[in-house]
Amino acid sequence: MDFTLNADQATLATAIDSLAARFETVPTNYDGFTLFGRDLEQELENGEFFDIALVPELGPLSAALAVERLSRLPYTAEFALSMLFRPHLSGEWPRPIAIVENGRPGRFVATAKTILVIDGENVGITQPSPDEIEPVESIFAYPMGRLKTGVTITPLPASEAAIVRKWIRVALAAEASGLLHTAIAMTVEYLTVRHQFGRPLGTFQALQHRLAECTVLAGGVRWLALRAAWTADDGDAALAALHAQESATRVIYDVHQMHGGIGVTLEYPLHLWTYRLKALISELGGRGGQASAVAQHCFGSASSY
Amino acid sequence: MEFDWDAEQQGFRAKLRAFIAENLPADWENLAHGPGTSEQSIFSKKFCGELAKAGLLVPHWPKRWGGSDADAWSQFILAEEMWAVGEPRGGQYMNVNWIGPTLMRFGSEEQQQRYIPPMARGETIWCQGFSEPESGSDLASLRTRAEKDGNIYRINGRKIWTSYAGHADTCFLLARTAPGRGGMSILLLPMNTPGITVREIPSLIGRGDIHEVLFEDVEVPVSALFGTEGQAWEIARSVLALERAGIPRFALAGRMLHRAVTELKKAGRFGNGAIGQAARAYAACEAARLYSCQIIDQRKRGLPPGPDGSVARFATVTAERLATEFIVEHLPEALAGGDVMLLSHHQRAIVAGISSGAAEIQLNLIATEFLRLPREPR
Ligand SMILES: Cc1cc2nc3c(=O)[nH]c(=O)nc-3n(C[C@H](O)[C@H](O)[C@H](O)COP(=O)(O)OP(=O)(O)OC[C@H]3O[C@@H](n4cnc5c(N)ncnc54)[C@H](O)[C@@H]3O)c2cc1C
Repeated sequence: MDFTLNADQATLATAIDSLAARFETVPTNYDGFTLFGRDLEQELENGEFFDIALVPELGPLSAALAVERLSRLPYTAEFALSMLFRPHLSGEWPRPIAIVENGRPGRFVATAKTILVIDGENVGITQPSPDEIEPVESIFAYPMGRLKTGVTITPLPASEAAIVRKWIRVALAAEASGLLHTAIAMTVEYLTVRHQFGRPLGTFQALQHRLAECTVLAGGVRWLALRAAWTADDGDAALAALHAQESATRVIYDVHQMHGGIGVTLEYPLHLWTYRLKALISELGGRGGQASAVAQHCFGSASSY
Repeated sequence: MEFDWDAEQQGFRAKLRAFIAENLPADWENLAHGPGTSEQSIFSKKFCGELAKAGLLVPHWPKRWGGSDADAWSQFILAEEMWAVGEPRGGQYMNVNWIGPTLMRFGSEEQQQRYIPPMARGETIWCQGFSEPESGSDLASLRTRAEKDGNIYRINGRKIWTSYAGHADTCFLLARTAPGRGGMSILLLPMNTPGITVREIPSLIGRGDIHEVLFEDVEVPVSALFGTEGQAWEIARSVLALERAGIPRFALAGRMLHRAVTELKKAGRFGNGAIGQAARAYAACEAARLYSCQIIDQRKRGLPPGPDGSVARFATVTAERLATEFIVEHLPEALAGGDVMLLSHHQRAIVAGISSGAAEIQLNLIATEFLRLPREPR
């Protein structure tokens, strides 16, 4: 157990920080639903950051730390699955990667080179041609897309499907952790500057306690996500994803509520984080799906604590 | 950053488990019930004596005082393994975690020689006399007075919620020697001193745990003063620093969840509703555990205690809450004669957010010191 970054992890963190610095701010007068980071994606590609999990000194934990950090940005790009999940696929599968679950629209599907197709218990994989995918307008702050019907899908064997689910869960939790971080930080800032009744809103204990509870949840998501990346354990991954979806559900409501009217405008960009979290809440069967995975992997017959 | 226990730590945990397997009697689960009962208190002295002989009572203490200079992780692993089986050390966990170390830091030579060796041998029980009927969260308002009169202090007042007072040999007493926050002092008070009355308070937590303690013209020599007059606040803060991670409640909560799930599965009652709640509770336990590890990591690296301690404490309170709510809803028969361990866990868990600093106080600290939100006007 050691919670400090080692030299390699620290070097990577510095590199990610300096890359991220150029994408910290929302463009002035921006009022869209999604802020897609094409340049961010290119920079990650140029710096070979998508493969850090494969570097022996770094590994999946460093990749999870990177995903967590990058998810704090207002810009979104497909890095979570590329960094955390792609290294575990057998064979060469080009990125970006997207997931289509039970035929629904998914994040990054319209630009994906590889798509995981999840249908109930079955997991398949495909490399769609451009005419097999199409963008979908949505309120989620990710570019959403749809896979057309009739696409040929290669089924994955059960053992590989389990690996797929595990790393999707780790990626989801790491991304949620970064999103939660910024959503809460923005709320702290807002409650500090916004005055009502002659005092900053943040001095009202009713709001302090709610935000404090959100903070405890968010930090828990971070530790569970990082540990799951380190142990690569199915149970740890399920716990992390469950806690992420559970916490997101609560935090999204609270941070919007604490922003009052300004939080529902597009000019105030809170939705860039909360409406990514909303998209994550339903993945892999939502909380019910994660709970059954916890039951299977943590409360299995050979369970020991 | 890494999340593995190294070979030495794994070895230490295995050694503790073996010790526990060998030294807990067959009827331990019945004994464990009622953390401050006479049976438990008598057993705790026997058990701690054996722990001491095996070098497992105070491994993280300095060699000079019977320890082996082990690091903060050993203390954490020790606490986890003990709490997870129902804390067979009874009230002596306080000696090990903070009373001993606080004596080493602030005690006079005489106090150290008198009190530390019996603690290191596992022979003595202490209680913590802080809370009063009118002073709970607002501890600085306490009223119990200690008046100096020649070479004695004369103590008058009343303490409440005092755990283990019924069997304690000594009280770590917080009393007022002058007005204000700077007028609080600590006295090390033998519990057999005339003028002390202890009354057990029947409670939801089980027999023998909490008490009211009355002090009527109790006289102790001035040598019972711990530190200097008015130093109590500073000492109390350092106590809090030692206790910053708090009791590893998530360890027992996690085990009890597994125990309840096993029961439900046997009965064919582990359906989707139960699965959802059990999984949420277990995730909360593991989050709390990792937070606590973070605190231990900070301590090991010599960092001063920060507001993360309150975050870890609140995470633990949440874990206990979810675990008990799951069991109450899905295995209620456990609390009605069905399972003495699950009942005993329930009784301990319900005070997770009250004892040693209420949950709402932790939230205040998280808001103002961790998030740095502006403070409430006073
Ligand atoms: C099982 C058990 C064992 C204990 N053992 C000991 C012991 O050995 N020695 C000892 O000295 N004490 C002990 N205590 C006492 C414990 O420390 C106190 O109960 C605790 O500090 C809370 O004080 P109180 O009970 O007076 O509650 P109060 O302080 O009256 O609080 C009541 C409620 O109001 C809330 N509240 C209080 N102030 C604020 C605020 N500023 N903002 C928001 N909410 C607030 C609290 O969070 C709580 O929810 C024990 C308590 C229990 C339950």
